[in-house]
Amino acid sequence: MAELRQIAFYGKGGIGKSTTSQNTLAAMAHYFGKKILIVGCDPKADSTRLILHEKAQCTIMQLASEAGTVEDLELDDVCKPGAAEFDPANTDITDGFIMCAESGGPEPGVGCAGRGVITAINFLEEEGAYDQDLDFVSYDVLGDVVCGGFAMPIREGKAQEIYIVMSGEMMAMYAANNISKGILKYANTGGVRLAGLICNARMTDREYDLAKHLAEQIGTQLIHFVPRSNHVQRAELRRMTVVADKTDQAFEYKELARKIIANDLKVIPKPLEMDDLEALLMEFGLEEEVEADAIGKKASA
Amino acid sequence: MFICGYHFPASLGNKISHEQVVEKVTAEVGDLSDVSYAILTSENRDGIKQEDLRVEKGSFLFTALADYYKKSDIEGEYKMIYYTNKYQMSEVSKAVDGGVTAAVCRKLDDMLLYRVKVA
Repeated sequence: MAELRQIAFYGKGGIGKSTTSQNTLAAMAHYFGKKILIVGCDPKADSTRLILHEKAQCTIMQLASEAGTVEDLELDDVCKPGAAEFDPANTDITDGFIMCAESGGPEPGVGCAGRGVITAINFLEEEGAYDQDLDFVSYDVLGDVVCGGFAMPIREGKAQEIYIVMSGEMMAMYAANNISKGILKYANTGGVRLAGLICNARMTDREYDLAKHLAEQIGTQLIHFVPRSNHVQRAELRRMTVVADKTDQAFEYKELARKIIANDLKVIPKPLEMDDLEALLMEFGLEEEVEADAIGKKASA
Repeated sequence: MFICGYHFPASLGNKISHEQVVEKVTAEVGDLSDVSYAILTSENRDGIKQEDLRVEKGSFLFTALADYYKKSDIEGEYKMIYYTNKYQMSEVSKAVDGGVTAAVCRKLDDMLLYRVKVA
């Protein structure tokens, strides 16, 4: 049996982490027969709905709250097989499968959401979820790593390779750089490595150039540029991934899946200083050069 | 690293030279004497075709497109090109083909979807 790889998708909130991760993981199972456990680490619990074809899955924290404590739960209560072809029992299309768990978290504005992540991962490990015949465990982690709780998969050495979902927008790049700082902090103690940037494109000017140069400067690779597609949004409404559709977008996710499976470039990142990040944006993010005296002024008509 | 679909081992780092890419693609594509043309078509987000572009034979861009077409498992006469690959092909072509493919590369750098037919 191949060694279990623990990967994680990080990125700015709203960048499309869950969509990107679910479509990519679905492609890994559908086309390449990979056996995967998804651990959603977002209180929204939307990391598995496209695989389960359901509304948000009942989370470990929700179920623990109903049962009394997390010790009162069984693995089958919290870890669900994916629907249709992603179900381990269904080998019509592929031997690959996807199991799904969501950590959940507290009500908005109350408590530490990161604590749910810690509790969930420890529970899944103790109950043997990782001992099954798996190729990948994938963590889909909310937003930035400014909160230590969400850095937990990195900090505790759970996730070994990190893929940062970003775009050519400034805040997405800022978040990508910030996450790199989080990885750097724990790289030597926990062994976590940055495995690449995934540009979930907003189709902004020179977005590929911007993403590629950010990746290069951080010391990693732009592993794939995923174009924006309405097809993905429409599929999401149906709680579906697009991977079996044989559309252009499905092929993009298939290619990203192939690369992640074959990827061996896992580095300790070299995050940029804020000034360098700004300089990168000025160099690649704008069609026309901005004169120094135009900064802070309204655009001319 | 992955460039033009090929895996370059981690030991080579995250900056692969254009020469290494050209060498890899040229070695992998094999004999192209039976290939007479490569045509690109572009389309907007609504799938409406914009224009046809012919690629100069003998250029790296021609070789890379021929290689892509031969290896691709995408169905159809005109095969969709991954955005990542079109940007990478353009970048290398601009560096090694000089002005021969410059006009086509400028187009490839845009946000349109491209398909290729090689015969």
